[in-house]
Parts: sequence; structure tokens; C-alpha cells
Amino acid sequence: MLSLVLTVIAALFFTGIVIRTKSLASGRKGPGIMQPIKDVIRLFKKGAVYSETSSFIFQIAPTIYLASIVMAMLVVPFGQTKGLLSFSCDFIFFAYVLALGKFFSIISAMDTGSSFEGMGASREALYSMFAEPAFFILMGSFALLTGYTSFQEIFAALHIGSYISYALAGLATFVLIMVAMIENSRMPIDDPKTHLELTMVHEVMILDNSGFDLGLILTGGYLKFAIYGTLIFNLFIGIIDYQYAIPLFFIVQFLMAVIVGLIESFSARFRMNHNAQFIVALTSVSLLIFFGALLMLGKFN
Amino acid sequence: MSLLIAFLVLPIITIIVIPFLKVRGKAIVTISAILINALISGHFAIQTLSGQIFDFSFAGSVVTGPIRIQIDALAGWFILILNLVFLTGSFYGLFYMKAYKEQRNNLSLHWISFILLHTSLISICVIQNGIAFLIAWEIMALSAFLAVIFEHEKMATLKAGINYLIQSHVSILFLMVGFIWVAIKTGSYDFQSITSYTQTQGSATGIFLFFCFFIGFAIKAGFVPFHTWLPHAHPAAPTHISGIMSGVIIKIGIFGILRMLLLIKADYTSIGFFILFMSVLSGLYGVMLAIIQHNLKRLLAYHSIENIGIIGMGIGIGCIGLGNGNQLLAAIGFAGALLHTLNHALFKSLLFYVSGIVYQATHTLNIEHLGGLIKKMPQTAMLFLIAAIAICGIPPFNGFVSEFIIYNGLYQWMLNAGLVSLVAIIFSILGLVLIGGLALFCFTKAFSVVFLGQPRVQFNHEIKDAPFLQRLPLYIISFFILAIGLFPKNVLNMLIQPVSLFTGKIEPTFVPFQDGSLDALQTIGWASSGFIVLIAIIFLLRRVVTQKHKATISSTWGCGYVAPTPKIQYTASSYARSYSKLFSNILLIEKEEKTVSGIFPTEAHFKTHPYDWLEKMLIDKPIKLYKSILSRFLFLNNGKLQFSILYGIIFIVSVICIPLFYDEIILFIDFLKQL
Amino acid sequence: MIHVILIVFIITLFYLSIANRMLTYVKVLALQGVLLFFVAFLQLSEINTLNLIFILLETIVFKAIAVPLFLGYLLKRNNITREAEPFLPNFVSLIITTAIVVATILLSNSILDSHLDKMFFVVALSTLFTGLYFIASRRKIITHVMGYMVIENGVFVLSMAVGNEMPMMVNLGVMLDIFASVLILGIFLNKIGDVFKDVDVDQLTNLKDY
Repeated sequence: MLSLVLTVIAALFFTGIVIRTKSLASGRKGPGIMQPIKDVIRLFKKGAVYSETSSFIFQIAPTIYLASIVMAMLVVPFGQTKGLLSFSCDFIFFAYVLALGKFFSIISAMDTGSSFEGMGASREALYSMFAEPAFFILMGSFALLTGYTSFQEIFAALHIGSYISYALAGLATFVLIMVAMIENSRMPIDDPKTHLELTMVHEVMILDNSGFDLGLILTGGYLKFAIYGTLIFNLFIGIIDYQYAIPLFFIVQFLMAVIVGLIESFSARFRMNHNAQFIVALTSVSLLIFFGALLMLGKFN
Repeated sequence: MSLLIAFLVLPIITIIVIPFLKVRGKAIVTISAILINALISGHFAIQTLSGQIFDFSFAGSVVTGPIRIQIDALAGWFILILNLVFLTGSFYGLFYMKAYKEQRNNLSLHWISFILLHTSLISICVIQNGIAFLIAWEIMALSAFLAVIFEHEKMATLKAGINYLIQSHVSILFLMVGFIWVAIKTGSYDFQSITSYTQTQGSATGIFLFFCFFIGFAIKAGFVPFHTWLPHAHPAAPTHISGIMSGVIIKIGIFGILRMLLLIKADYTSIGFFILFMSVLSGLYGVMLAIIQHNLKRLLAYHSIENIGIIGMGIGIGCIGLGNGNQLLAAIGFAGALLHTLNHALFKSLLFYVSGIVYQATHTLNIEHLGGLIKKMPQTAMLFLIAAIAICGIPPFNGFVSEFIIYNGLYQWMLNAGLVSLVAIIFSILGLVLIGGLALFCFTKAFSVVFLGQPRVQFNHEIKDAPFLQRLPLYIISFFILAIGLFPKNVLNMLIQPVSLFTGKIEPTFVPFQDGSLDALQTIGWASSGFIVLIAIIFLLRRVVTQKHKATISSTWGCGYVAPTPKIQYTASSYARSYSKLFSNILLIEKEEKTVSGIFPTEAHFKTHPYDWLEKMLIDKPIKLYKSILSRFLFLNNGKLQFSILYGIIFIVSVICIPLFYDEIILFIDFLKQL
Repeated sequence: MIHVILIVFIITLFYLSIANRMLTYVKVLALQGVLLFFVAFLQLSEINTLNLIFILLETIVFKAIAVPLFLGYLLKRNNITREAEPFLPNFVSLIITTAIVVATILLSNSILDSHLDKMFFVVALSTLFTGLYFIASRRKIITHVMGYMVIENGVFVLSMAVGNEMPMMVNLGVMLDIFASVLILGIFLNKIGDVFKDVDVDQLTNLKDY
């Protein structure tokens, strides 16, 4: 329950901080931190325009997308406390519930019969397909290190002591941040600010959504970012008491948002053709982490 | 015992009666016969799931010895799957075949082969005698062949059918070798002799014997590289037969492998690694080729290969568990495999039935010509969507449950494994995740291109949805898909008996799943129900909030382009292109194009045809080589009657002369050897 | 700490396989030089100080500064286009590099010698094979030189593994390095790049006998 509340609170600010960082880095003052939330509330009050090509899939897809993200949020723990749902191998449930959301967003994009959305749908399917193995192998390495298989037990038992475990934790953070960027289609995979169809993945899939549905989709996006932030936070705390953990949580989320903003301001987007190999490189790095975990356990040498 | 006799007599009566009935009557009589047989076999099967074993014996002839029939939990599980798929399939087939009601004789043959298929499949599950098993297997292969070539006026169908027949006979050849080998060494054709033979001989014999059987069963199941008949046979057959083939006939191959695992005593660990390797290969290869197919049924056929790979992974993990003495791992592995067998039978048959409805409405199976069907047949589209989500292994449906169990097995194994096993595990996990992602890619493509968007080709005839009664079996199947997804623990309890047949090899008194190893499934069931409730809540919220605001309908945003046509939509090939470009080395796509040239462009065209690389290497090239060698002897077969008589005379003369002059010939050969 | 640096070294190999521009290759070589400097500093604690200073200087000066600068200058002077043109797409290169690393890890597990630290062996062998693959899969001549530098970094890592017992090995590695630098210097000074108008490897096939 605690993780649920904290993640929702973090989601309120996360995207706002990212946008504010990007503006400040380019020398502007930028919108307020609560602006994304105000946008969503404004969208909830508007009417919608539906395409005549679309069907009932288009109507139910944003709902299912948000529901899948909320469901995934229930699995994420917070240090010692479990999430609302916690069982062995629950990270598999986490990944596959998110996959349901992706399934529906892809088919709702194809539902409009537009070539733009088809392009985005095809790319989204390809990239999320390649990003999954990195996540699973990463969790596999952690499961191997700690001997448990559920999120909460893994994070509670993860000790960061020696140099090599710091290195592995650092690499794991890198992989998780990159997976978060891929899932939310931000730099360097995709630039959410160019509204050019040839260069986008996620923004182009929601071109025809409007009103309440668009609000649902945006909320889902913000929540997803905060969920990954919570996961990364969990990598490092483990055993700290609550009175330190909760402020530390907000500090880490803030830092992550600033880092994301800085990455977005200072790096260029990859060429679309090169995205696939970058994502597969993440899987290679995960494999390295796995073998590093083996090294730590002394299983080879 | 009397029930068994009734079970065998009923099909015979049906076969005799069918040719004399009217078209409608044929189908109804067959369906009733299948229903009665299903009830009889189901009666036994359900009791075996709670632990009972039935033993009967027929006094066979002097060749076969006594023929034993034994119905145990494994056979019971497969019989229940069989009956479910056959019942829904035959009911669906009744309406599907209405389109062909002029072809009386063809229909008689079809329904006869149908009931023979049902009976032989159930017999294969329970027979415990080598020769009787082979006879039942042969009857099954032949009746499946007859059922597949229903539209035999089309050349492609006939070729596909003969391809299937030949490969089926290669499979039976391997099985024959296995059974006869054991019979020669032990003198009895009974299955018990296989067990006693492999227990006394060294482990090398056991492994060799197992591979013999494995190859035979793998050809039937569709493991890569033995799969090449599958993608041809499934599109060629009428839809309910495709559904039954994918749902049941390839599962009999899996049943055979499982039965041989129980009977043969060999080194389980190496067998397990081998099966795991083949399965990951099959899974990946099947789904990688499925994405680029244009023909809807062929796409589904390649997916069957992928799912057989997933089932094989479960079997491999279970075998490794048996080899290491780890009963937990063995239980999880076999449970995952058996549950996925049921799940795959359900959603694959559902997918095939829907594709049959699409075919009958539009008369084409080419995805590139379809589109926008959801407006004309919304309920059918909904059913396809449910099956597509289930086959990708996504909660809250049943595919997730079996894939979860297999993942659980892999992660449990990882926790205490050596280095080589760890590498195998991590690559199996990689493979399974990629399979899931690729399946998602493929089914979003299939669903969106067939049902969503706008129609890509305008049809002259009207497109109607199938009548409600034809869709009834589909609703029943989707009900099962949802039920297994929401109540996985109850289904797992049904699996206790079949799995304990396997774990009994390590420790006879172990009752699987009682130690809380798969308690996660209970939580998953609740989570799935909660998920559906959550979706409903958000949807209601949405309904309440948007009541106040108007929703307008307008055209899709086209970036200012004022003349949108359905042709600018994304086609299936364009959707798959981002993927097929990356893997172009493995995927054989033949292109044929006439490009645009000149300042005022005229008509141009572009055709792609996907082909199977393994089929090209393993089947086409050897056959070409074989033909080129044999075509040198073509002059012998010139059709003139006189030459045939001449050959006959030469044969008779040599048959008479060679024994007469045998001694002289031997002297001559010795003389030649001394030179 | 050394293991961490070696893991970062392997990640530079992955980066090398997906990079597109020639300048990126040069920068990766410089990075590898810096990493090797730190490894040398931490690992070779038992050889005499003069030798150690020589090795450290050599690593920093040659590997991290001089060779990358020379290569960069060559790229600019000969107007070699920025794109590296591989024969196989980068995607395939990445998969092959990953396969090389995994195969090396499995191979190292079957070695039972307790004196050798396996990590060094893994990194050295994978760098070697990646360097060989690099040479085999690129079109331009100058990438052959870069591939040779990568191979030679790999040999240096291996010599570090036994450097404490056999300081001569490390010195030999250093000699190899100096040889390579002289080679590049030769190209630079003698302006061979001017004579070879085509920087495309395929043209070299004109030198065939038949």
C-alpha cells in the first residue's frame, strides 16, 4: 500500500520536473511543475472526437492501458513492505500485464486506419519486444544473487557491499533507466517533442485520441515513469528504516527526473534504424550483469 | 468392458450407415456418434484424474499377444482434451460444411474419416501393445489425410495432403523400428517389455531407443526441423479439420513422447537438455516465420510450431528435474507442459474456427486483402481478440498461466544449478521472452490487419457474420479460456494425478503442488479477476464523466492530405517490415517487382512470397538432387506395352537361371577377385 | 576494483560493435587506453618501480594519447568519410560480439589453472576475437589498423594477468605497442594514404595473381 501511495505522489511531480529541467537547460523558464497534471485535468473535462474508421477497440483501449499500469503498480514493493500483490516470480506478472497495455495501445493505433499510427505501432511492437529480455535477464541475475524470486524478497535481500556489486548495481540502474526510456518512448529512442510522424514511436500512436481517453493515456505514461523510478530506488535501499527511506525516495525520484531531463536535453535521438541494435545492446549488458553475478557468487573461477 | 465394446462397435455402425443418409443426416449421425463416444471415454477419463486406473485386456492373435488397454491419468487428460476439441469442432463443422452440400460422396468420405479419426486418437491414448498401437496410428494418419484433402480438385490441396502422408509414414517408420527392436529383444509387444528391456540394458540403449521414438513422434508433433508438412497441410484442410489437427493431432505426438518418457528408463538429464534445445529452436523458428506469412491459416500453423516448442520446454525442464532427482522441478515442468497442451488446444482451435468464418464470409485468406471486418462481424472479432491475447501469454487468460508455470520452473532450476545449466537456463529464458514478444508482434499484426482499419479490397459480395449456432462452440471455448485464466489453482489440482505419474519415478509418495510451490497461481487468479473488475470500474468512470460532453465523429487525421484511400493504410508487410529487415538473413522472402519508371509512372507491382528456409534446405534440395539422379533412368519408363512385357521376361528368366547357374557364377566372381 | 574496470572494458567492446562513425572508434581506443592505465596501476604492484613507471607512461602516452591523435589526423588528412562501412549490419555484429563474450566465458570455465585470474583471460580472449572480427567485417583499410590496436589491447590485458610473476611479458606487450605506433607513424610520414587513392579494401583484390 505504501509503495502505491508513494508512487502516485511521485508521478504527480516526475514529468513536471523533467520538463522543467529541459526548459532550464535550454535557457527558458519553462512551465510549472504541476503543469502536466493540470493538462490532464483539462483533458478530462473536454469532449472527444472519434475517427469514423475506428471501432469499439478504440473506445476501450485507453481504459485497459491505464488499468494494466495500475495493476503493475500493485506489484512493486517499497523496501521492506510488499506491494499489494506479492508472490514468487511476480516480476513476470509485472512484465506481462504491461504487455497487455501495449497490446491494446498497438491495436487501437492500427484501428484508425492511418499510416502514421501503423508506423508507430510497428516500431512500438519491435522495441518493446527487444526490451523485454533485458528486464528478464536482469531480474534473473538478481534472483540468482539473492536466492529469491519475488520483487520484495529480492530487494530486501540485496546487499551492496563490494566493488563489484556496486558496479553491477550501477549497470543495472543504467539498464533499468534505458528500459524506462524505451517503454515511455523518450530520448534517445524517440523524441517526444518533434511532432513529426516519421520520427516518433509513442506520440504518433496517440494522434487520434482526444478528451478523456487522452487524459487516461497521459496519466498512464506518468505513472509508468514513476514505477520505474520506484524500482530503481528499491535497488539501493533494502534495509533502511522508514523515516529515512521515504524522504530518500523523493530525493531519488527527483534526481532521476533531473537526470532524465538532462539526458533529453543534451543527447540527440538515434537514427530510427539504429534503435533496434541499441536495445539489443541492453540485452548484452544484462547478460554481462548475469555473468558478473555468477562471478560474485563464485560459481566460476 | 462392455462399454469398451460399445465404444468400438459404434463407429463401425456409423461408418456403415453414413453413405445411405442425406447430407444433413450424415453430419448429425456423426456428431451424435462422437458425442456418445466422448461420453463413454470421458466417463473413464474423469475418474482417472482422481487416481483410478482402469485395466482391460483383449485376447489378441498369435502375432500380437494379448492386447492390454490401460487408462491412466495421462491418457485421461489427453482424452478429455481430445473430446472437447472434437465436440466443438464437429458442431462447427456441421455448419461449415453446409457450403459444400452438393458433394454427397465427398461428404460421406469426410464424415467417415472424421469418426475414424476420433476413435483412433482415443485408442492411441490407451493401447498398451506395440502392434495394435501402430495399427491405430496408421488409421489415424490415413483418416487425417482423407479429411485434409476434402477439396481435392485443387492441386495445392492434393500436394499438401500427399506431403503430409509421406512425412506421416516416415514417422511411422521410426516408430516401427522402435517397437520391433524391443519385440525382437524381449519377445513381447507389450509396453511393459519396453520398460523391462531398458532397465536391464545399458543407458546407451535407452537413449538410442528413446531417440528413435522421439523422432517419430516429433515429426507428428511438428518440432523443427521436422515441421515442414505443417504449414502446407493446415491451410489446405477445411477449417474444422485444421482446428482439430492443430489442437489434437499434433498433441498426440506430445502424448507419445510423454508416454515413452514414462516407459523408457534412460539418462533423463541429457534427454532433458536435448528436448529443451530442440524446443527453444522450434519456438523461435516457428514464430519468426509466422510473422511474415500472408495466408492467415499458414500464420496460425507456424504458431502451432511455436507453441509445441513451449510445451517441449516444459517437458525438457521436467526431464531435467527427473534426472537431478528434484521432484519439485519435475512437477513444475510437466505441469506447465500438460497445461499448455490444454491451453493451446483451446485457443488455437478458436483461432482456426474464426479464420474459417472469415474465409466463408470473404472467400479469401490473404490478409493483405482483408480489413475492417470488425464492423461487419463484431462478435467474431471479439472472439479472435480473446484468443490472440491468450496465445501471447498475457493475463488474465489461460496462456499466461502455463507460461508462468514454465518460467517458474526455469527460475527455480536456476537457484541451484551448475554453470553449464545456468547458461542453458539463461538462454531458455531469453528464448521464451523473445517468443512472447514475437507472438505479440505477430498477433497484433494479424488482428489489426484483418479486422481493423478499412477494407483493403472491395468485395463484390456482401460480408455477413456466421449464424449464431456456428459461433456457439466458439463461445464455449472462450468461456474455458477465461475460466482457466481466472481459476488456475483449480485446474492445477486436476493436474495432480498426471504429474504424479512422472514424479512417481523419483519418489512414489510425493504429491505435487502440496508444498506451496505454485501457490502464486492462487494470487494470480485473484489478481486476474481484480484486473477485470478494475477495467470495469475505470470504464464506468469514463462513461459517467463523458456523458456530459459530446463526442463527434470525423475522419482520421491525415496531416492535411485531402484524398485518403484505404490503400494508404499500413499493410501487414509494412507492419512486419521493421522486423523482417533485421532478420532478412534467416527469412527467405522471394520478391517479384516491376518498378515505377519514367516521368509519368504507369502501373507497377510488387509481390512477396515468404518461404521456409529449412524446408528449402532439407526437403527441396535433396528432392531435386534425387530427381536429377533418377531422371537418367527415365528412358526405362516409356509407356509402351512391349517394353513392360520385355522387362517381365527378363525378370522371369533371371529368376529361373540364377539358381541354376549359381555355382558357375560364384567361380567366375572368385576368378575376377584374383585378378 | 580491477574487475569493475574489466567489465567496463567489455562494454566498450559492445559499443565498438554498434558504433557508426570512424571518430567513435578512435575515441573508444583512447578510452580503452585509459582503462588499461588504471588496470596496470592497480595490478602490477610487485615489479620494480622503474619498470612500472615505464609501463604506465607508455600506456598513457601511446595508447591513450598518441595513437588516437595520429589516427584522427589521418582521418582528417585523407578525407576518409565519416561512416564506417561494415559488410554485415551492426545488429549482426552486436549479436556476434555477444556470442564471442559468452563463448569465452564458457571456455574459461574449463581451465583449471588456479594461478590465472579468469576475468583477465575472458577479457583478453574476447578482445582478441572481437578485434579479429572487426578486421574481417569492415571495408576501409584504416579500420584494419584500428582492429589491430584492439587485438593488441587484448594481448596487453593478458600480459597484465601474469605481469607480477613475469615482468618481461608486460615489457613485450609494450614493445608490441611501440611497433604499432611506429607503423602508424610510417603511414603518416610517408603519406602512403596519398598513393592509395582508394581507401576501399575491395580494391586490394587487384593485387591477385590471376
